Amino acid sequence: MHVKSEIAGSVWKIIAAEGADLAADDVIVILESMKMEIPLTAPKAGTLSKLHVAEGDMIGEGQLIATLD
Amino acid sequence: MSWDDEIDEIHARRKLAKQQGGDAAVAKHHEKGRLTIRERIDALLDQGSFDEVGQGAGVPEYDEDGNLKDFQPANFILGFGEIDGRKVIVGGEDFTVRGGSPNPAGLRKSVYTEQLALHYKVPLIRLHEGGGGSVGGTSNEKNRRPLGEPVFHESRFVPLAQTLSSVPVATAALGPVAGLPAARLVASHFSVMTENAAVLIAGPQVVKRALGHDMTKEELGGPQVHLASGAIDNLAETEEDAMAQIARFLSFVPDNAWQFPDRLAADDPADRCEDMLATIVPTNRRQPFQMRKIIEAVVDRQGEASSFFEMGRKYGPSLITGLARMNGEAVGIIGNDCMYYAGAMTAQAAQKLRRFADFCNSFHLPIISFVDEPGFMIGPDSEKAGTIRHGTAAISAVLQSRVPWASVQVLKAFGVAAQAHFGPDGYVLSWPSAASGALPVEGGVAVAFGREIAAAEDPAARQKELEDMLAASQSPFPRAEGLSVHEIIDPRETRPKLINWLKVALAAYRNTQPQPYLTGMRP
Repeated sequence: MHVKSEIAGSVWKIIAAEGADLAADDVIVILESMKMEIPLTAPKAGTLSKLHVAEGDMIGEGQLIATLD
Repeated sequence: MSWDDEIDEIHARRKLAKQQGGDAAVAKHHEKGRLTIRERIDALLDQGSFDEVGQGAGVPEYDEDGNLKDFQPANFILGFGEIDGRKVIVGGEDFTVRGGSPNPAGLRKSVYTEQLALHYKVPLIRLHEGGGGSVGGTSNEKNRRPLGEPVFHESRFVPLAQTLSSVPVATAALGPVAGLPAARLVASHFSVMTENAAVLIAGPQVVKRALGHDMTKEELGGPQVHLASGAIDNLAETEEDAMAQIARFLSFVPDNAWQFPDRLAADDPADRCEDMLATIVPTNRRQPFQMRKIIEAVVDRQGEASSFFEMGRKYGPSLITGLARMNGEAVGIIGNDCMYYAGAMTAQAAQKLRRFADFCNSFHLPIISFVDEPGFMIGPDSEKAGTIRHGTAAISAVLQSRVPWASVQVLKAFGVAAQAHFGPDGYVLSWPSAASGALPVEGGVAVAFGREIAAAEDPAARQKELEDMLAASQSPFPRAEGLSVHEIIDPRETRPKLINWLKVALAAYRNTQPQPYLTGMRP
């Protein structure tokens, strides 16, 4: 499944590595938006098969951040 | 002589009406996993309470001797019924006849729905699934009638518009809904759609011909689109869930604008204080918190569940809106969600707030606002969206309110947008975490003190020093000293303090005669 950002901002910190098994609500990356640190979490359990962003990347609303299998 | 033949004919016709679009059309509808309109009405209403209006309306076909040969029922079903013992009007298109696109009798019944609700002043529920008109019109050759309504006929949109200030209107999209039914769907205070519903101005074929887009109806107007567009408030997992959400919405509102909402017996103690409220807001201003947890800790619990019923979560998500009970009284709740742009007011959040404030005022619901407002959303997208006008309209709606308002300043209240969280003569409680001012120090200091910071020996250290100094001046204690807030409180006291206020505020408000809410021009 595709995990998208609902907000614009930048990627502040990557928390989960590709290949990691995640539970629902586990943090994948922390975004920085409007000077706040906003965690982006897994909507459901799965394996993080692909991260589409790197730390420091600017991101827009609706941008694909990660793919979960 | 007797009337037996005619009475038999009545029963025969009733049977024909219940056939809807015929066995094959009904089976096809069920195969799509959808209920028929009659099944939907049964699922919504208290058992056996449906009292149909205009069951005999339809398109008849007579043989040469004048005997009824065939009968196509009106493809809009309408009637009175009860939900939890309360009288309502319910109506909806019958998709199994012409895909819900109105036949002449169906159109008449659908237009009459709003008039009935206005006349009897009871809540209105519409369960939509159907298309609008087609270029062929609603008449077939055999039933040709004059084109259009006579010039002296009132537009069908007059009662549609009037219902919103008179009676609560809740609607559901339970399949494809297009054209006029879509317009009626959104002429509501609360709307819900199922996963396989689509709401469209025009369907894929029309769009493809006019604009060249090759899209499915789900891509054009599915839940992903319309929960975010604000056209529809909530998603329902199933049709039964849609009915349950409508019943829940209705439980908070009076029958009409001439009545106050009912108070329910409350078994949640008014003096319940939750310890988590004292620690939920991080002292590090960069870290977010969950405003919904605060709301749920403060409002009534009903057994294990919270009484909080959120509406429109996906639209303008930096602002939370919903209904809840406080000590058994129905209240409107608003709160900033700092997970979205620090809770900033976007153009959509502003429109959501304006509509919600008008709704609460229309049905006499006091408003409790949980404030964490950094200001209007900034940047090029926000400017292009006209946020300043929508935001100012929201502020106007809030400050023209007639219902009691209380505001709990949880954290930020900055800029012009902060005004959208404090109603006229409102009761204001401040948490120790509250910070108020023209703009947040994180954004403002670097701009206002730019030269001073640049000239400093250690610019970063000077900026931090200035930020800390100004953050201290945004503290709630000086505001409490100056009676700029009613009280600065231990966050755990939020529920009892609000309930004490609500008792007094509602007693005063209910001294007046309830009337519909009429608003004037806004920015």
